[in-house]
Amino acid sequence: METLSLLASGFTVALTPLNLSLLFAGCFVGTLIGAMPGLGPVNGVAILIPLTFAFGLDATSSLILLSAVYFGTMYGGRISSILLNIPGDEPAVMTTLDGYPMAQKGQAVDALALSGVASFVGATIAVIGLSLFAPLLARAAIHFGPADYFALYIMAFATIGGVAGVDPRKTLLSALIGLMIATVGLDPISGVPRYTGGNFHIYDGIEPIVALVGLFAISEILMLLEKHIKDRVGAIRVDGWMPSLSTILSTKWAMVRGSLIGFIAGVLPGAGASLGSVMSYSIEKQASDKDGTFGQGDPRGVAAPEAGNNAASGGALIPMLSLGVPGSGTTAVMLAMLISLNVQPGPLLFERQPDLVWGLVASLYMANVTLLILNIPLIGIFTRLMAVPTWALMPIVAAVSFVGVFSISNSVFDLEVMIAFGVIGYILRKMDISLVPLVLGLLLGGDMERNLRRAMSISDGDWSILLQSWISITLYVLTLAFLALSVWLAMRSNKRGKSRRFEA
Amino acid sequence: MRVAAIWTSKLGMISAGFMAFAALPADATECIAPSNPGGGWDFTCRTIGRILTELDLVDGNVQVTNMPGGVGAVTYAMVASERSDDADLIVATSTVGITQIAQGKYPAGVDAMRWLGMLGADVGVVAVAADSEIQSMADLNEALKADPSSLTTAGSSSIGGWDHIRLLIAAREGGVEDLPAIRWVQFDGGTDAVTQLIGGQVDVVSTDISEIGGFVESGDIRLLGVMSDERIPAFSDAPTMIEQGIEMTGYNWRGLYTGGDVSDDAYNTWVSNLETLYNSENWQTAAVEFGLVPIWRGGDDFEAYIREQEKVTADISRDIGVIQ
Amino acid sequence: MTSTRLLAAVIFVIAAVYTWYGSTYSVAFGDVLGPSVFPVIVGIPAMLLSGSLVVFPGGGIDWPDRSHLFRQAAAIAVLLGYAWLLTPLGFPIATFGLIAALGAVLGGDPLKSVVLGVVMSLALWVMFDQILGLPLAFLGSIFGG
Repeated sequence: METLSLLASGFTVALTPLNLSLLFAGCFVGTLIGAMPGLGPVNGVAILIPLTFAFGLDATSSLILLSAVYFGTMYGGRISSILLNIPGDEPAVMTTLDGYPMAQKGQAVDALALSGVASFVGATIAVIGLSLFAPLLARAAIHFGPADYFALYIMAFATIGGVAGVDPRKTLLSALIGLMIATVGLDPISGVPRYTGGNFHIYDGIEPIVALVGLFAISEILMLLEKHIKDRVGAIRVDGWMPSLSTILSTKWAMVRGSLIGFIAGVLPGAGASLGSVMSYSIEKQASDKDGTFGQGDPRGVAAPEAGNNAASGGALIPMLSLGVPGSGTTAVMLAMLISLNVQPGPLLFERQPDLVWGLVASLYMANVTLLILNIPLIGIFTRLMAVPTWALMPIVAAVSFVGVFSISNSVFDLEVMIAFGVIGYILRKMDISLVPLVLGLLLGGDMERNLRRAMSISDGDWSILLQSWISITLYVLTLAFLALSVWLAMRSNKRGKSRRFEA
Repeated sequence: MRVAAIWTSKLGMISAGFMAFAALPADATECIAPSNPGGGWDFTCRTIGRILTELDLVDGNVQVTNMPGGVGAVTYAMVASERSDDADLIVATSTVGITQIAQGKYPAGVDAMRWLGMLGADVGVVAVAADSEIQSMADLNEALKADPSSLTTAGSSSIGGWDHIRLLIAAREGGVEDLPAIRWVQFDGGTDAVTQLIGGQVDVVSTDISEIGGFVESGDIRLLGVMSDERIPAFSDAPTMIEQGIEMTGYNWRGLYTGGDVSDDAYNTWVSNLETLYNSENWQTAAVEFGLVPIWRGGDDFEAYIREQEKVTADISRDIGVIQ
Repeated sequence: MTSTRLLAAVIFVIAAVYTWYGSTYSVAFGDVLGPSVFPVIVGIPAMLLSGSLVVFPGGGIDWPDRSHLFRQAAAIAVLLGYAWLLTPLGFPIATFGLIAALGAVLGGDPLKSVVLGVVMSLALWVMFDQILGLPLAFLGSIFGG
């Protein structure tokens, strides 16, 4: 009850004309920044920090603007995934798997509307979870030790096996290549530089967003250049401008499942939005892909990861606020912002500054509603991008990607890395090796290795620590059950396929 | 003649206007944070940049550039080779940067730059969980003397990084001899390490106070000792290392450097501007809010301090075997 | 078939070199597992999998014909040129070159590509530098910017 009255007072603070206009502006700018390949939540929030000082905004207004941009970029990330097959940011990788095929089938409007609603559902569930259980969940997350995180990453990699591609060898190889790339750079545990060739630019490792933009955007340009020009112009049609309500409704359970999985992933510090969207997608695929439509433009394949990614980014606020542990690069920037507003996240934040916490929660609710309202008219605008001929669209996409990368790091070297990854991505695609496992290996590999090594340091070299806590044992049992289920389903569909062939 | 003169002056005005417009970003004061947004160096640049503008110590806004790479090594190399005489450029650094230099992990030594000043410092602490049996630094050092690998220590730096080294200095001063046998677990931040401390995965944490103060106030963890000369006002119950007979301090100061070929005039202007900034209400408030103790060392005093710290850190790193 | 085998062999060699290098990393003390174990754990299966693709390649590759390969090479040249000329030329001029040249490589009408380049390079500069506050030099280092 106390929570509700605190929340209500949070809303009254947030509902001033200034704050409402900040909310709209933040959601709009956030969506645009998120939609541009190479620019994501980290940039969006970083761009805003000097702005809030320049306008002399108070803490509440700054928080409202900040959360609007934070969720706005999360919404925006999916747009280029769906329309261009280029993820706008890391967590949007999974959305390319079914979102782009949907757009190719002429259902771009449906895919965008659907992902907007899914994002809304995911974020709303996360914010409700945040208001009800934040301190409780933060206390539970503390019991996750390095060995348990390692088990969680093993589970994530086991589940992506079924995500993409025909040949499981190639999927696994792709993930391993990602893990290999993740070890490049200064090893944060020992301080030893690995695979750097003495080049200081590689000391911080390969920035995932740089690799991501290269792998998807530049390889896409090379793929386009394979085709004859006349085959490309107007290749993608758009059937109708109104989203279909029945398509959206048909994915409601995918959204709910995705939200819950994503939320749990978000609450664990260090897991974050990327893990949330991966697990949501692969578990949804396992649960409902009875006809093998995932990967061909199944609406549930868009709904689940989008709900998961937004729920995870909402959930990630729990360890950030109640423990001061940033779960991802984005929450790290938000943490810095809160500290500069004289808000010290940590175990006492909820007791000492309840008005600020609930003001933030209220602005998150409002940002979600605003984004949903804002997104419906924006669908029309974004879908018109499909009408732009590729010769004009792709150079602009390339320019934006370059600027996105360059304006953050000011490094020509990063641009070269991006181009190199474009060529690598093209070759791997030609070999029928899916890029998604590679990106996941790159995103999760560093944490996976570090947690293994932390666990081994804690146990002083005893490998049995990996199986000592009930959390890790549960995770391994779930992983095995998941793998057994996949094998069983694969055998069953194989049989069915055969019997169908006999009938025909 | 006259027409020509008017024409030339007009052209001059237009091109001057255009140049001013175009060249503004390059001429404006720039502060490079050699890291991604968020974190200490980014805070240093953004806060100092904001206050420099508020106090009218620079023209216009200070442009903050993030240039991550090699714990500051990329920026160090770039400034040394390309912008060593750019008087409009300042770069954020801290004890972490000097530790890297002392261990030979930067492309050049301390002489490559001119060190402007330090404006504040974070204080190192050693903490245990509230229910730990270890009550003091003496308990800790006794346990480590008996069996150096009996406890798991953790913090936010890599092996040989500042959190690790200052814990080892405290152990060495407390009589522990087999320093390499002490286990060290790296986490991504001080709060990450503290959550693992509360969760019972590690036994001892060594890190900066600013990040983890909330957990001390909430009663989840206890401070065994603080690495400052005087007790920290906000945590006056916690004794210093020196009080416990361990002769050491472990600050993590925040400061700035500029290129090595910047003129004496420009250097002195920077030092005096930063001193004005240090004495302003704005900085004193901002620093305390961020959990820093305001401390000023500038100019020649700071240059000498940097050289001494670099030498001390290199010696210790060699003693404990981090570098050969 | 042959080209899959060839590329898989390249990946195998990279994985082998990676594993070999990985096994050489070491640290003086304090880190129980050390920096070399994980690269080896990752590198060996990568060698096995790429090796299996050399022996049993799963499907061949359709390479584009010579004229398309030439266009792809041109696109990469344009992108690299942009990366190297961005600092000397400054953002708008370099971006103009990128968009115009890439537009033409992608089969756009040259004149239209040039117009697009002029408009978009200025628009992007205004958006990033002026509106979003991400600093981009208007004139490059060769113009003294």
